[in-house]
Parts: sequence; C-alpha cells; structure tokens
Amino acid sequence: MHNSVKRCTHCVLSENFPRIEFDEKGVCNFCREELFHSTEKSYIEEATVAISEMLNKEKGQSEYDAIVCYSGGKDSTLTLKLAVEKYKLKVLSFTLENGFTSPEANKNIERVVSALGVDHITFRPSKKFMRDLYKVSSIYEIYNKKTLTRISANCNSCISIVNNTALKYALEKNVPFILSGFTLGQIPLNAIYYTTNYAFLKESRKNTMDKLTALLGDDVDKYMGINDKIIEGVKKYPVNINILCLESYTEKEIIDEILPLGWVPPKDVDGCSSNCRINAFNNYVHERKYGYSPYELELSHLIRKNLLSREEALSKLLDQPMDQIKYAMQDLKIDESQLQKFNS
Amino acid sequence: MKTTVLTKDAIQELLLDFLCQQFLVEKEDIELDKSLVDTGIIDSMGLIEISAYLQREYEIKITEEKMNRNNFGSVVKIVDFILREKDIN
Repeated sequence: MHNSVKRCTHCVLSENFPRIEFDEKGVCNFCREELFHSTEKSYIEEATVAISEMLNKEKGQSEYDAIVCYSGGKDSTLTLKLAVEKYKLKVLSFTLENGFTSPEANKNIERVVSALGVDHITFRPSKKFMRDLYKVSSIYEIYNKKTLTRISANCNSCISIVNNTALKYALEKNVPFILSGFTLGQIPLNAIYYTTNYAFLKESRKNTMDKLTALLGDDVDKYMGINDKIIEGVKKYPVNINILCLESYTEKEIIDEILPLGWVPPKDVDGCSSNCRINAFNNYVHERKYGYSPYELELSHLIRKNLLSREEALSKLLDQPMDQIKYAMQDLKIDESQLQKFNS
Repeated sequence: MKTTVLTKDAIQELLLDFLCQQFLVEKEDIELDKSLVDTGIIDSMGLIEISAYLQREYEIKITEEKMNRNNFGSVVKIVDFILREKDIN
C-alpha cells in the first residue's frame, strides 16, 4: 500500500476502512470510541477466571488436554509455550502445512516442538487443492465483505481448514480444548473463548461452501466441510480458546520468550507474518479489492494498547516485498489481468 | 445486566446498535426479518459474538442447542428469543 494514503493520526486505520471518520485532528472514530471503552479489561478478567476454571476442571481427563493450532509463527509459538509451561496442559501440536510455509518456519516448528517435548502432527492437503483454493479466493468474491475487515480471503480459506481439521482431531481423540494463537484485534473480544453449534455453523456457511464447491468440486467438503458423520451424536464440543488474548506482550517480549526454544525469525516473509510466504500476496489482493490492509485493525488495536508504536505498525504495513508477491502469483498462475477488476 | 428497560423496542434498538458497531454496518443495511448470515451482515464468528453479547447484556446462557436458526435467524428472532428467555411478554 502506498504511504500516501490518509490514515488516522493515532492508529493506522486508513481512509478506506469501513465506517471510518476522522475528526479535525485526524483521529478516527475507532480511537475515540476506544478512549471511552471500558469493558475490555473487565471482560478479559472474567475470561481469565472462566478459562482457568475450565482448564482445571477438564485437565487430565483425556489423552490430550488441548490441541494447539501451531503455524510456526511467533504468536502460535508463544501460545504453545504458554499451554505447556504456564497452563501445564498435555497438548497435541497441530500444523496445517499450506504449501507456502517459510522453510525457516518449518525448522522453527521442528525446533520448538522438540524443545517443549510435545507430540506433533502435520496435515498437508494436496498442493493442487491449496493452489486452486487460494486462486479462487483471490479472484472471486467468496466471503462476505464483513468477514474480511480483519482477515484476507486467502487467510480465511486457510484458517477454515485449520479449524475444521482441529475439530476433527479433537472429536476423534475426545480432546476438550482447541487453542489458537489469535490476539485481540485479529478476533473480536467475545471470541477469547467460545463453543459453537456446528450444525448451525454448517448451515451458516452454506453460501460460501456452495460457491467454493461450484468452483473447486467435492474436495471443498473433504477439507473444509463440517461432515454430518463427524458431528452426529456429539454430546460435547471442544471449547475454542485464544489464551494469548489474556496476555499483554509486546512483539519484542514475544520474541524474547520464544528465542530460547530455538525460534528464528524467517527472512522470507512480509512485515505482517512470521511464517507464511503467501501473506504478502494475500495483503496485496485485499488492498486492491478493498483499499486497506487486512492487518490495519489488528495493528491499530496493538497501538491503542501501547504494545506497538505507530511507526512500527506502519513499517509492518509497508513491508510487503514485491518479490514475494510475484513468487505467489507465479506459483498460483495468477496474472495481473485477473486482478485488474479490483482496481478502483 | 446492563439494560434496565426491557421493552421489545429497547432491546431491538440496543441489538441494532451492537450490530452496527461490531459489524461495521449501517442500520439501514439490516433487514429485520432476514437472516443476518444470508444477507452478509455477519459470518459464523458473528454468531458467536452475538451469543456472547446476549450472555453479557442479558445474562442469558446460550447453550449449543439454543444457537439455532429459530433463535438467531434474524434480528426479529433474536429479540423474540431474548423476550422468551427473560420471560417478558
């Protein structure tokens, strides 16, 4: 994204972000509302108590206490560490290899699971399916616009498979919790911990699944569908928990926590990712479609919480290497003409 | 519970305010009797956000069974669900 775009003078939300308004000082309405927003602290305190009670109640009842969705990035690495060392959980670490993981991130996964002494499982869907999925998610309007204020379409596709696969493992192995490395800003406050009705969830996703199936065939259901056979007769669903939302780490503090596990920052990723080589392309497509980065909301949240400076956030947003964008376009066989329609 | 006046209109207005703030839409974008999912206002995570809102605002415990189309299918259905749960006619 060009540096010339008008942004809030306090956070990094840009003029194309939905429902944004700037006051005479150039401060956005999201920052102004945040100043009067007092519920977050109490919500986090309540969630901390509730999560602690839930974990203590269920701990030791199954082969694993939790499945940790582990991408190899810095946030999920810290999540895995906290799960093992702070919460003392018996975890199954799970990675979805999407075909675009940085080689250094794969080494990080190997080093970290070894250092923490946890069981680990990797699921790698067919490369062809992942390429096709990313291609159609980039070119077509698959997801509703509201979903994409916090996340790019390709990340959303990938995370759907992560969530689905983690749910399958959890139900197969009777694991009571699924832990992910999302932070506030990436997810809403209410999603620090939640369970859901998967039958209704399946119904709610029908439009999206129909669009994807029309484009990609039955494999969509295999990788992304909530299979009736899996949820039939389920008495208790796992609780999804994002334990990082309960913490207040700066990026430096996160890195300091995970370096001793052998984690090394990958050099072949963009400023907003610490594991994925397709992320710069995902951001590029999102910005062309909607005029803003899918990371603006998350980074702005961190600025408001004094966990990141505005300069650091801007540097991340602008660190979108063109060679990585081109690499992804070549791999997915997407050319500029297919993205032209998004030019505003 | 934060809401002191539990009338149908007040509940609906508060719900619409919540939806607009949380999902970055305008009130005129929301069709009261249409599915919030089908009309693209919310996604599956949105359902979780709404259920958490109801738990917090009205102290309604949302079990998995209650999270269905009949209760969450539209603004009108959500308001009716709140009224039923709070036993308000």
